[in-house]
Amino acid sequence: MPTAIGEVIESSTRTFVAEVYDEARSRPDEPAEPAFGEWVWAETARGDEVYALVSHVEIGSYDANRQAVALGMDEEERRREMPMVQELLRMTVRAQILAFRSARSGSMRQTLPPHPPDIHAFVHRCTREQVRDLDAPYDFLRTLVESPDPAVPVDDLLVAALRQVHEAHGAEHGGRPELVAAGRTLSRLLDDDHERLQSILRRVL
Amino acid sequence: MLDLSRLRSQIDAFESYQVASEDRRKLQRRRAGRALQAVADDWQAVRGRVEEAEPRELVARMREDPARTSAAPERPTLVTVVATDGSQIYPDRHVEPTYFLLNVGRVAFQYGTTAAPALDAVPDLRFREDLDRHFDAVLASMTTEVVSALRDEMELEHLLDAARENAVGGRALVALADGTLIRWMIRGMRNQPLEEALIRRYTGYLQDFRAEQFPLASYVSMPGTTDVVNLLRFHLGELGDDGEWVDDETPTLRGFLDRTLFDDVLAVGERSAVFGSASHIIRESYPEGQAICYFYLKIPTGPQTSEITRVEMPEWVLDIPDAVDHLHATLLDECRKGSGYPVSLSEAHEHAVIRADERDAFFRLIERRLRRAGLPTTGSRKRLSKQRPRV
Repeated sequence: MPTAIGEVIESSTRTFVAEVYDEARSRPDEPAEPAFGEWVWAETARGDEVYALVSHVEIGSYDANRQAVALGMDEEERRREMPMVQELLRMTVRAQILAFRSARSGSMRQTLPPHPPDIHAFVHRCTREQVRDLDAPYDFLRTLVESPDPAVPVDDLLVAALRQVHEAHGAEHGGRPELVAAGRTLSRLLDDDHERLQSILRRVL
Repeated sequence: MLDLSRLRSQIDAFESYQVASEDRRKLQRRRAGRALQAVADDWQAVRGRVEEAEPRELVARMREDPARTSAAPERPTLVTVVATDGSQIYPDRHVEPTYFLLNVGRVAFQYGTTAAPALDAVPDLRFREDLDRHFDAVLASMTTEVVSALRDEMELEHLLDAARENAVGGRALVALADGTLIRWMIRGMRNQPLEEALIRRYTGYLQDFRAEQFPLASYVSMPGTTDVVNLLRFHLGELGDDGEWVDDETPTLRGFLDRTLFDDVLAVGERSAVFGSASHIIRESYPEGQAICYFYLKIPTGPQTSEITRVEMPEWVLDIPDAVDHLHATLLDECRKGSGYPVSLSEAHEHAVIRADERDAFFRLIERRLRRAGLPTTGSRKRLSKQRPRV
């Protein structure tokens, strides 16, 4: 089991919110904090793996009643003289659920899961293999285009999703055909709105 | 429902009263300043006269020139600050069985280093089986006082633990408690065995602090004390006089507070002389060497504003080299960072406080567990109806 990067703190069959572990944020060997547009997964109580695209990353105070204020200190000084500040901040990510792998059949389904991930379920980043499994005919793109997270510019999320398709299949060493296939699916979903499609594709590579 | 229009004439009267009080206070400030200087000029003789007279009122014990002021020394670059603060859910007399909750927030900062701070809260559910027979008797009538005293005790216990866990050899340490170290509130329970048991347990922790030589201090914001003013009143021969005026133009110092006096005496950042408390509780019930001393400190609360606070410590802290200087400098630094209140105490408070939703969740959990055990709680309907008034 790969190391978890965080834990689910709000959950539904459409989205979940996860708090990112401090250790994941400060891991020196790899950038472990989840990025906007990255695939992550978490398990439901029945063992299904729920796959979701990070649609929002936020850093804020643990306590809604307390706001961060300007301190006029650099990071080193802040850690020496206001050590509590870092402890009171946390990173949370909201992820839009787009697919799940059934525990019973083992097959990947690009549709919403029957149950949400459990609260406190561990959240993991997806490996390239897992992202490759989310492949043609790219039905998850339909969910993304037609029912986007209303608080997020969907085209930017589509750019990130296509970039991951490209990278998971080898980027410049073989990723192009899959990117073209995903682009064709997207073109149909956008009703041949070429201007919008071009704007998205321009930002992928 | 508050009908503000019916309050109008009362607010007019309040305003006039405040204006008159302010005029009298200006005259009191002048008189108090002159009296302090007069006492300072001959402080040892005045001290002798106070000791001889043994006044009934609390008169500050002088240990040095009472008009002495000290500028803030440099804070040690490396200093460990530990602090605790507590909160509670009082027992509800409408709910059976009786239980209450204490929650103590603890913090430890290693200033000057990049070591991670320690921040947590320790809850403690207390119920009758925990309490000996003294407590059972008073819980019915003196609930608030007993619970508050137990909370203070728990704060001190965890402050000691925090100091033990976070002290670093060779590094200055300041252990900060909130409120007074003098157990005034315990006298009044009208239950002597209980009062003595509570004071004995509290001072037991003071003894532990002394054994470990952890400099302990408590922070009293907006103190309402008059010990030093009583000293001046003694010198002026008006102590015990309830009158407000000596003559048409000279007010007595009745109602004048130490914090108003030291607001004139101290510059921002300065501390006053150290005084000893003459409290009879200390004299009668505190162990030798645990007499409580204090100084006043003028802390900045904004670019143009300041406030007088009282800092108390057991007498033995004065014998630890540099402890008072470290305390003074560290508190000032903490207050600057906390916009007028020590950040360590403020963080301890934030961790201790039980918010309304947490409180509701606590009651729900207790009620669910008792119900599951086949023990229905009684009386909670009154509490619920208070929370949600119905039309």
